Amino acid sequence: MTDLLAIEDVTKRFGGLRAVGGVSFTVKAGSITSLIGPNGAGKTTLFNLISAVLRPTSGSIRFDGHEVTRLPTYALARLGMARTFQNLAVFKHETVVDNLLVGLHTRLRTDPISAAIFLGRARREEIQARERVEEIIEFLEIEDLRDKAVGTLSYGLQKRVELGRALAIGPKLLLLDEMVSGMNQEEREDIARFVLDLRDELGLTVLMVEHDMGIVMDISDHVCVMNHGEKIAEGPPAAVSVDPHVIEAYLGSRRAA
Amino acid sequence: MRTGHFKESYGELVALTDSSVTRAWVGLLVVALLLLPLVAGNYGLSLATAAMITVVGAVGLNLLTGMTGLISVGQSGFLAIGAYTNALLLADYKWPLLASLPASGIVAGVLSLLVGVPSLRLKGLYLAITTLAFAFIVNHVILYAEGLTHGPNGVFLPNASLLGIDVSRDRPLYFLVLAVTILVVLAVLNIKRTRIGRAFLAIRDHDIAARVMGVDLVRYKLLAFVISSFLVGIAGALLSLQIRFVNVDVFGLILSIEALAVIILGGLGSTAGAILGAVFLSMLPELIRIAFSTFGSTQSVTYTTYVYEIRGIAYGVVIVVFLRFKPDGLIGLWRDVRRYWTNWPLAY
Ligand SMILES: Nc1ncnc2c1ncn2[C@@H]1O[C@H](COP(=O)(O)OP(=O)(O)O)[C@@H](O)[C@H]1O
Ligand SMILES: [Mg+2]
Repeated sequence: MTDLLAIEDVTKRFGGLRAVGGVSFTVKAGSITSLIGPNGAGKTTLFNLISAVLRPTSGSIRFDGHEVTRLPTYALARLGMARTFQNLAVFKHETVVDNLLVGLHTRLRTDPISAAIFLGRARREEIQARERVEEIIEFLEIEDLRDKAVGTLSYGLQKRVELGRALAIGPKLLLLDEMVSGMNQEEREDIARFVLDLRDELGLTVLMVEHDMGIVMDISDHVCVMNHGEKIAEGPPAAVSVDPHVIEAYLGSRRAA
Repeated sequence: MRTGHFKESYGELVALTDSSVTRAWVGLLVVALLLLPLVAGNYGLSLATAAMITVVGAVGLNLLTGMTGLISVGQSGFLAIGAYTNALLLADYKWPLLASLPASGIVAGVLSLLVGVPSLRLKGLYLAITTLAFAFIVNHVILYAEGLTHGPNGVFLPNASLLGIDVSRDRPLYFLVLAVTILVVLAVLNIKRTRIGRAFLAIRDHDIAARVMGVDLVRYKLLAFVISSFLVGIAGALLSLQIRFVNVDVFGLILSIEALAVIILGGLGSTAGAILGAVFLSMLPELIRIAFSTFGSTQSVTYTTYVYEIRGIAYGVVIVVFLRFKPDGLIGLWRDVRRYWTNWPLAY
């Protein structure tokens, strides 16, 4: 298997705080990789670096053969990277359909003038976009919510819409940041099933930050563990779960909390 | 109850509205506007014309502030640019109106790049500040570039005609403004249902998520600013046709504030709201005038003496009251009412 994502010696400092320090790992194409670690370990910051929301202080990130470290954030969607956010980042005043349609932004071409006229090409493009969104709506089983403003939905459903929006990008790599936290057991199982389906049926590669160890153990092929901004372990789930460093990191943080 | 929904085709899904009731009302409104000149006198007609010009400007500002979440307090500058471009092209350069009208919007749009390119890379209130400065500069240039703009003397518009019809008369002007207003509203509604409008809304609601979805923030903010300024420029050109004499005093900064009042009153982000707000606030001075005159002649004198102060206060009060009690504006009020009546008699 080839590496879809390669992180090499990446460091991010916020002033004096080193949120991520010298982290390296790779994500194999077609795999489900989990990134775990106690709160404050630097997982979200690493996600922000991978998705070019933040610039690393040093190090390099390669995605699908492109050096993405210095690219503007918006360029990554077109390259096929999509993500969700730990704290909801939906467009809450818009409907579910419109949220998903924003995900299609880079796949659409309409220029301002044909948009204003909305005949011919612009209209055809919108119709195709709606068809594509309809597939995602069916996949995520949210048919009843199409026209609801996303802000009015439950937390779990908003997260599901955010996943749909990321899927609309048509990504090769999907980054999920604590997708299931705040969800009930049934919603969690739905999400785990979706993630497996995405990998198995669409060949997506998934990198997820996850605290739900049940899900991590069940569906990941590979697990990376971070603590205090550094990678402390990596390997198959079974091996990582018995790694003394990992146990120490988790117990340490429990004790501190 | 509608659950999910079943459409005949995807064509219907991208239509402006799927409600036949809405379609009927809009149709009725357009017919009423077409018939208005038969019943309204010249005064009524010129009020309606002024209201529609306000609608064009408000819809333009709403695209920027309501849809994209960018605040400009200097759109009066672009109104002035549109009005002067149209006036000067007609008066000094003998352009036909068919060319000077779009040119007014284009000049405003192009000049907006001057403000937008440096300020839209920055976040927050930079645009508000630069546009404010820009509006001052525009007024200054108008006053001192006498060779181009006639300076403090202002510009008288010649009788302009469009397709052989003299639009300096009330009725033809009314129809011209009506046609432009309908086109502008349609264009903005259309933009809103494409990837461009969605990018604007995304920037307003969550700019980081918008970037991650592939939206180039600088480019789309600039686009919103250019389109908005273009539309405001068109409104300026229409205004010049109505007032027949443009002068720098017409374009005071208070206009920008009034314009913000219009879209706040209407309900930020909603095009229908911008229309309602524009119509309501255009009529407000008239309502105040009527109120004052019904209370006798002394109050009438007070009104004429302090007309600008009274209008200013009224706008201020409207902004504060709506921001405090009805942040979703007139359009929100309208939705509440409609919800009430659809649920009636099972109302909550
Ligand atoms: N934008 C920021 N500015 C300053 N410090 C930050 C910023 N983002 C995260 N941090 C800090 O970086 C550390 C790692 O945070 P984060 O990446 O959110 O951890 P995790 O997602 O693993 O819980 C924390 O100490 C956090 O306070
Ligand atoms: Mg986190």
